[in-house]
Amino acid sequence: MAEQIIFYILALVIAVFSIMAVTSKKVIRSATYLLFVLLATAGLFLMLNYYYLFAVQVTVYAGGVMILFIMAIFLTHKPGDEFKTKMNWKVKSSAILSVLGLLLSGYIVVANVTRIINYVSGKEMKMQELGVTMMGTEKYQFLLPFEAMSVLLLACIIGAIMIARKEKNNVESNNDLDK
Amino acid sequence: MDYISNFLFMRSEVSLLAVMVFLLLFDLIAGKKGMKYFQPIALIAFAAHTIWTFVPYEAGVSFGGMYDYKPVMTIVKGILNIATLIVFMQAKEVFDTERQGNKRGEFYFLTMVTLLGMYFMISSGHFLMLFIGLEMASIPLATIVAMEKFSKKSAEAGAKYILLAAFSSGVMLFGISYLYGTVGTLYFTDMPNLISANPLQIMAFVFFVAGLFFKVSLVPFHLWAADVYEGAPTNVTAYLSVVSKGSAVFVLMLLLYKVFGNLIVQWQGILFAVIVLSITVGNLFALRQDNIKRFLAFSSISQAGYLALGIISGTAFGMTTMIYYIFVYVFSNLAAFGVISSIENKTGKVNISDYKGLYSTNPKLSFIMMLAMFSLGGIPIFAGFFSKFFIFAAALEKGFYVLVLIAVINTIISLYYYLLVVKAMFIDSSDNPIPTIQTDNYNRVSLFICTAGIILIGLFGVIMDKIELYSFGM
Amino acid sequence: MDNTSLFVVVLLTGLALVILGLTAAILLSPKSINFQKGETYECGLPTRGTSWMQFRVGYYLYAILFLMFDVETIFLFPWATVVRQLGTSGFISVLIFVVILGLGLAYAWRKGVLKWT
Repeated sequence: MAEQIIFYILALVIAVFSIMAVTSKKVIRSATYLLFVLLATAGLFLMLNYYYLFAVQVTVYAGGVMILFIMAIFLTHKPGDEFKTKMNWKVKSSAILSVLGLLLSGYIVVANVTRIINYVSGKEMKMQELGVTMMGTEKYQFLLPFEAMSVLLLACIIGAIMIARKEKNNVESNNDLDK
Repeated sequence: MDYISNFLFMRSEVSLLAVMVFLLLFDLIAGKKGMKYFQPIALIAFAAHTIWTFVPYEAGVSFGGMYDYKPVMTIVKGILNIATLIVFMQAKEVFDTERQGNKRGEFYFLTMVTLLGMYFMISSGHFLMLFIGLEMASIPLATIVAMEKFSKKSAEAGAKYILLAAFSSGVMLFGISYLYGTVGTLYFTDMPNLISANPLQIMAFVFFVAGLFFKVSLVPFHLWAADVYEGAPTNVTAYLSVVSKGSAVFVLMLLLYKVFGNLIVQWQGILFAVIVLSITVGNLFALRQDNIKRFLAFSSISQAGYLALGIISGTAFGMTTMIYYIFVYVFSNLAAFGVISSIENKTGKVNISDYKGLYSTNPKLSFIMMLAMFSLGGIPIFAGFFSKFFIFAAALEKGFYVLVLIAVINTIISLYYYLLVVKAMFIDSSDNPIPTIQTDNYNRVSLFICTAGIILIGLFGVIMDKIELYSFGM
Repeated sequence: MDNTSLFVVVLLTGLALVILGLTAAILLSPKSINFQKGETYECGLPTRGTSWMQFRVGYYLYAILFLMFDVETIFLFPWATVVRQLGTSGFISVLIFVVILGLGLAYAWRKGVLKWT
């Protein structure tokens, strides 16, 4: 019973703040609403006993990604006031199409919900199990994606730095420390 | 399989990663003097990697099926390597200049990361690996699209690409999550028997495949292509239109054949519509472009349609013809981009109307451009003709008569606009044509390789036989 | 009492405390209503424009680096629980991971991103 109540509270928080995040006219408020969404999602993970995912959600998303968002917003000139959406025929027709698509896929999902296999065992996923799964090289173990992630993250660091760092407009001063 | 041999089994990936780390360290350690040799060293290292990983080896899996290798993948990776090498050679000139010189280390590194991502996509045996590969192939690509950060067009192109790529991979993940929900596994080898064409799986499949269609820029997921191709630095455009597209279309085919074999009726229907749309829309919009990069963007959309035509048959022959088509397309398109890039570097002109009278000042460049256009259009004796011919043959074999008829009619339309470029260069005269251009040796070599490829590939049947030999094992 | 009920109790107690504190503050505090009190402090001069300003790009780069190593930490955590069990191979895997990410830091350092000028 208590679980159900918590679930509905979290679901309500997620739904309300998601809508507020997209409808708010001020970027920084959107970011704050998004933070609540992320934290509530973390709460859902906690309910399911996924402690690791909970930790990931809080440290990476609510922590790191939000900081990145806020810094990115601070880079802009204006807080984004007076942003008006024009309702021309393109917007209207794509809105109608999206709603139709949503109805269709929603109908398919609802009509076939029995086909989805129920995996949620509800039992706690041990951190030790996770460690072994993440580092193993057998089937159902994930060492390769783990290592590939490091290359992806490295590429993201380098790409972001390349885009964001100050230009010196000089071939020779390639490395900062050479000067 | 013990721990180390799991890694060593991924020969191409490990070799490419070694090259990347070496170049990054070189970039970090070398001083002003050392950086003068960066580009030659990068080219040599990458060429060495290309040669070292050229020979196929025994098929197998490592990491418990996470990485799934087939000899035909070496062929495809080899083609991608050659294409990337040509792009690097054409880009050397740009990164010798003041304007872009301080970003050469990043350009090579990020390009190679995207290539590594494509390798992972090609050889993945699990949807997670596929997804990581896809992200690796698109996020760094967006940063090199936006590399010319003081050009508004480039920044806009980068932003458009990253937003749409993020959106399409979100759609794709949604599809994958439903696939997992109905099947309960994400290993490619476990899935085919569990997929039984129920509505939920078809919906998941449609969402999933939309993400890949986006990467291949098939209509209706093509809207980013023209703007991004126009805004990106020309060499990056070349990379996007050849390497990124080639790898994505191959991955699409692998998945359709291996994982979604039970949905063949559905995906043939989807592909049918998408091919007709891509070829037609690409052609119609290409007709009215003046900017040559936009022109090639729409031409590449229609070429993507032809590539998908190789998939639709669902046979090993179709697969062979498609790999062959990618191979030919690499040379034809890169020849065109090589010419465009050298003209743009020296004069900054990117419009077809600027190319008027090019023959009188730059006969060699115009000749290469002409060959590229002939090959893209599919005029006989050039490689493009043979590749189109085989693709049509593969589709006809399975009875797609109407589709091939539409494709043939479109080929004729496409000849018209490809020849418009040739006409501008050779027949039209201009008061101030582009002055005679001296390109550097690297670009010359790259153009020579492309020309040789365009003329010779079609005449040597042995290439087709080799690809066929490996693709039948799939 | 099981975990979830405990959670609900803690949640409600927390909420109640916050509400209680705030209401008490509203009720008990002395009030003075003044327009100027609510203004942004700016050396006594009347404020002009918004308080919005554009930040240096350097903060953003720090945020990126922070995020990367945040992700690294969270990935190392499950491994840390089973270090002994996994032995050398696990150690090598993590070493590869850390070294590749470390290259990013080396890159940032060498290109002068960490320098605050």
